[in-house]
Amino acid sequence: MKIIACYSNKGGVGKTATSVNLAHAYAQAGKQVLLCDLDPQGASGFYFRVKPSKKLTDARFFEDVERFTKAIRASDFEGLDVLPANLTFRDFDVFLSRMRNKRSRLKKALVSAGSDYDVVLLDCPPNFSTLSENIFKAADEIVVPVIPTTLSERTFDQLVRFFDEHKLRKKKLRAFFSMVQKRKVLHQETMASMRKLYPKRFLQTAVPFAADIEKMGQHRAPVSTYAGRSAACVAYRALFDELENGVVSTQ
Amino acid sequence: MSEHKKTRGGSTARRMPGAFEDLFFLPSVMDTSAVEAALPGFSVVVEQDSEAKPFSLLDCHDQSLRAKGWMLIEIGDALQLLQKEQRPLFQNCSGKGRFIQDLPSGEVQAALRDFPKLRALMQIGAGKLEEKNFVVLDELQKTQVRGVIWSMTSTSGQATLVRLQRLRGYERTYQKVSTAFADLPDCAKDVEALYAGLFPGMETYRAKPDIQLGRAEPSIEVAADIIHTYLKVARQNESGMVADIDTEFLHDYRVSLRKIRSVISLFKGVFSEDQTVELKRVFSDIMAPTGRMRDLDVYLLEKDMYFNLIPEHLHSGLQAMFDRFQSERGQELSRLSRRLRSKAYATSMKHLIETFDGIGQLQPGPNADRGAYDYACALIWKRYRKVCKIARGITDDTPDETVHNLRIDCKKLRYLMEFFAPLFDAKGFKLILKPLKKLQDNLGLFNDYSVQQEALLAFVSQQSNTQGRVDAQVGLAVGGLIAVLDQRQKSERSRVIASFQHFDSPETRNLFRSLFHDKEE
Repeated sequence: MKIIACYSNKGGVGKTATSVNLAHAYAQAGKQVLLCDLDPQGASGFYFRVKPSKKLTDARFFEDVERFTKAIRASDFEGLDVLPANLTFRDFDVFLSRMRNKRSRLKKALVSAGSDYDVVLLDCPPNFSTLSENIFKAADEIVVPVIPTTLSERTFDQLVRFFDEHKLRKKKLRAFFSMVQKRKVLHQETMASMRKLYPKRFLQTAVPFAADIEKMGQHRAPVSTYAGRSAACVAYRALFDELENGVVSTQ
Repeated sequence: MSEHKKTRGGSTARRMPGAFEDLFFLPSVMDTSAVEAALPGFSVVVEQDSEAKPFSLLDCHDQSLRAKGWMLIEIGDALQLLQKEQRPLFQNCSGKGRFIQDLPSGEVQAALRDFPKLRALMQIGAGKLEEKNFVVLDELQKTQVRGVIWSMTSTSGQATLVRLQRLRGYERTYQKVSTAFADLPDCAKDVEALYAGLFPGMETYRAKPDIQLGRAEPSIEVAADIIHTYLKVARQNESGMVADIDTEFLHDYRVSLRKIRSVISLFKGVFSEDQTVELKRVFSDIMAPTGRMRDLDVYLLEKDMYFNLIPEHLHSGLQAMFDRFQSERGQELSRLSRRLRSKAYATSMKHLIETFDGIGQLQPGPNADRGAYDYACALIWKRYRKVCKIARGITDDTPDETVHNLRIDCKKLRYLMEFFAPLFDAKGFKLILKPLKKLQDNLGLFNDYSVQQEALLAFVSQQSNTQGRVDAQVGLAVGGLIAVLDQRQKSERSRVIASFQHFDSPETRNLFRSLFHDKEE
């Protein structure tokens, strides 16, 4: 099982859109995927028309494995389930360690329910805390959307520094440029300078700023389901390809 | 079509984690709006763009699958096996005209392991099938339950199959939807509903139909009933013989005729002497042209056994022999088919069925009015005593001929008991029949080995040239086979005495006496 965290220490960068479209891409590729909606502001559950589970705000939640597995909802797509959860920080910690531990009751419960997920995708809350450190430790890959602007550049610097200070494996960081507007010179220049500064951290794929992505709120579905030929859809598919297979598509 | 739609349907059902299906069968067209009406707050959306595909309903002639509560259909080049409360099984291969043991391995083939080995799958019905996916949506248009509808039609009726698929986290809705389907009028959990809807009144073939007898019914009526019934059984096998679907058609045909002939010969004095002689001739004439064909069928079915009996370097001669058998069977089949399709044959069968429909056209003999029960007791008791008399006299020195006679009398006893079984206590009958069957198996093998040797000798003499010489390979193979068969026949014979002693136990004797002879004391 692979844990992919979709993380950003800055809001409004297209993190939830990335989680939703990546999860869909993995499922389309035949993987069993669990998308965990952990961001209280996020809306990956909303995009899949899954109503948030009231039960999961209960403090005793993680002591009760059965209720956890019961809160998982099938999406409308084959192989893709959603856990619509607003977890407390403490719960989230426990959640991560239990997903990692093969012998934990949570893991066993998932396996026995016939859902040994190939990929668990975490739509993470945007915080910088001990919580984030646990995500970085638990995840196999941390996908970080970065808008090529000066402000985003600074937050990304902070993230890399955090990894250095806490002796975390920077290899896990898979950043990509998000909401890119090709016509903006600033975007072009920032992308060039950041790729130069962090040559190993950035994926080649860039996701454009697109109305089709914004329309996800209206359609309440992944981009490929209603705009299969759009640039946005192509970009997310390329992002998946590069993450999963190391294939860089020439756009 | 959007991707949303593409992900629905058959393949989803197999791969979805924790997927479980409920099946509903309706002997009619389904009304989706009735389901929707039972689900306030939800909408049922059925896929529109589907096309009807032709399907074949497969089973063997005696409908073993249907009797088991199963339905096997062939669509395109794939088989689907439907069962009660089970996920439909799927296998990519065609089944029509094939034996289960000849199908490539797969889940359908595995499930059908116990299907009769000698029966081929044949089309017993056909129609068109339209597969439509559907979803149950909540007010957010989120899918909460998925399903598949099969709308099936035939020239004689229609039926619907609904498969429901659970989606994780929507158990409550699933239960509601399941109830909504279950509450539809005529909705059933048994596959039989599909048969009933698609093929109302489809005749089921039974090789041994129940025949109602009354204890005081005049024997001539009993005889007419049995003969009439088995004439119809025989006729039901004709088309399968002509189409050469499997060897059981001819076998059942012959067994039916043999039963008729034994009624005529065993029910002594029921028909007038003249009519008895005439009927014996008529039925002998009907059966005679099937004898060689059945012999060849038996050899060919036992082909592997023959090859295992002799060493490999003698196989080439054996192969030559079986090649001859195969081509001779081809000739026999076309000869027999021509006969079965002839006008003369049809007329004579039709005439016979009319003759035995009631007793108006029958000439009664002195025993015609004897009550069935009374008559049965006398016949069975007499035959039983004859069997015992022969069997008790058998020693190692008794000629084979006597053992053959014992076999024939056992067969007659068995037929008599089976004909009159409805008049007697079933439990006692079962206790007697078990050791009798064992003895008969024993005698049957003894006879087979002897007949096979004769047939092999006949084959060789037929193949030999004017100087009485045969092809060395064939001669070697046949010589080897005869040696082995003779050994087997001898050891089978030595078992006959033991089998009879088992049958001749004090319990069986008492049972026979109490069932068939007591009243006379």
